[in-house]
Amino acid sequence: MLTIVLPTGRVLKDALSLMEKTGIPVEKINDRGRKLIVNEGNFRFIFAKPMDVPLHISHGTADIGFVGSDIMKELNVPLVELVDTGRGKCRMVVAGPPELEPRFSGHESGLMWLTVATKYPNIADRHFSSLGVQVQILNLHGSIELAPVIGLSDCILDIVQTGRTLKANNLKILDNVIPVSLYLAANKKSSQFKWQEISNIVHKIKEIKEGEDLEQDI
Amino acid sequence: MSRLPKGCSNVCGDLAYQMHVCRSRFLSSFSQFGYRLFWPSGLQLIETAWEKLPVNVRNRLLTFTTPFAEPCCLRTDITLAAVAYMSSHFSPEERPLRLSYADKVYLTPQKPETSLERFQIGAELLGWEEEGADVEMLFLLLKYLENIRITDAVIVIGDVTILQNLLEKVPSILSKRIVNSLISGNYPEYSRALKDLQGKNVNMEFMKALPDLKGNSDILGIAEKILGDDTLLKPTQRIYDSLKALGYENQVCIDLALARELDYYSGPVFEIYLPSCGKPVGGGGRYDGLLSQYGIIGQAMGFALDLEVIASVAEASNPTETALVWSGNLSAESAFKRTLPIVEKGFKVEMSWVKDKDLSLALSRQKKVPYWVDLSEKKVIRLNCDKTLSFEEWLGEETC
Repeated sequence: MLTIVLPTGRVLKDALSLMEKTGIPVEKINDRGRKLIVNEGNFRFIFAKPMDVPLHISHGTADIGFVGSDIMKELNVPLVELVDTGRGKCRMVVAGPPELEPRFSGHESGLMWLTVATKYPNIADRHFSSLGVQVQILNLHGSIELAPVIGLSDCILDIVQTGRTLKANNLKILDNVIPVSLYLAANKKSSQFKWQEISNIVHKIKEIKEGEDLEQDI
Repeated sequence: MSRLPKGCSNVCGDLAYQMHVCRSRFLSSFSQFGYRLFWPSGLQLIETAWEKLPVNVRNRLLTFTTPFAEPCCLRTDITLAAVAYMSSHFSPEERPLRLSYADKVYLTPQKPETSLERFQIGAELLGWEEEGADVEMLFLLLKYLENIRITDAVIVIGDVTILQNLLEKVPSILSKRIVNSLISGNYPEYSRALKDLQGKNVNMEFMKALPDLKGNSDILGIAEKILGDDTLLKPTQRIYDSLKALGYENQVCIDLALARELDYYSGPVFEIYLPSCGKPVGGGGRYDGLLSQYGIIGQAMGFALDLEVIASVAEASNPTETALVWSGNLSAESAFKRTLPIVEKGFKVEMSWVKDKDLSLALSRQKKVPYWVDLSEKKVIRLNCDKTLSFEEWLGEETC
């Protein structure tokens, strides 16, 4: 029995389509209603908020799980990163009003004491620290784009997929932080003792990804 | 209400007793094989620890300056203290030296951990020259776990020298990147690093297969086929064969990609897992390189276990039942004289000095002890069924 923790929300669709392609049964998941645990065949599926997925894996309540690389980097809990699925691709960026652009294109000292609103305070801290810059970080839990518009912060650090929300709020990308995508990760103990089952899934995902990359190249 | 600093905890009651038993059995079982008890100082000078600790551990030290103006940290690791002690207190003729310990270590926790302090039990075997010592340590470890009735622990064994040898001619930045990706369990990064390894005269087939080389002893056969030679695999094979011959075949697994956080390891390494715990409960390995940093030529091996986790799953506690013993109208000395036969029979007792019989009886129910003893009347009530027995009946009938 392999326990898989799945993130609720918009990445669930990506995870399910990938699982289906790897041959993991997903029929009962689609009919689960409000159930948070679903058993199907040799699998148990747990549904959790994306931010909680790494904790389930790290504690061993799940053997493997699908988790965004943004969340892994933010929480930084010990787990085994198995494979980048290539799904749910987006970017983590610093964005702000166009007036801020000269400060980001000049010397780093121009960034000193900016106020940065973000859902990812640890990544923001590491990113600006790596530039040798001290900033004030505001930890918000949603509607991040609002912060610079209403004067709560100078800029934001957030993930961007299409950039439409930024554009709608008259914000520009000022700096790229990290690429983000959906990863398959495992509990350390499970990666030892259930490696055969886990590695079958990993290899299938790699094959699917390579096939898709090849299609794109063609 | 008073509280402890965040990240600290008190342990009391059953778990504390269990920890005490597990700790005592650990120290006594290792002392039977010549391991001397070692009580290291709780503090280390930063200047002595700094160079020997990896960056991610340095960043988590709990530091302060002593009243003597010396920058110090709370001990993060007992191995360092043991090696330093050995290098300065024993002559080469006295080696090998065997040490065992049971003490606390301190480190800023990494998420999702919250504890600043951990109670470790461990052993170190320092300064030997021939084969056998690594098996000694693993055998004693498994024997100890058996002794506290943990028979389902599994030791995962790897060998960091395999990778060190294969990457010998690779630029150190790249080899560190590869090793770090395995330590942090970041396989996508490992795959990316392998792409940079192309054309560097390294057995790429083995490197690509490495994350998959985990499981039972068949793995060593597969690895040998890819390497075309068993030289690098011999230490792991030897340990596995010895533990198998000692009857622990089902408790040993191989992971050739196993790498541990502390970078002073330089040979076979291992981690210990329990079915009930999602992460390793301990680990260790060979650290000859660390020994040489202290000017000692020879081999060294050690391990540590998390005592609290081990104690929480061990069946080491004495299942002795407790009796609440009411002194009644007896004097203290008479009460003790009448209590001794109960203790000698194997019961744990808790004295109740209150004068009110009903209060004492109520207390025994509140404490959920199985027996309430009236010393003056020489009567016993078995509380789960309210059956009253005479002293003689009880001591004759009940065994612990």
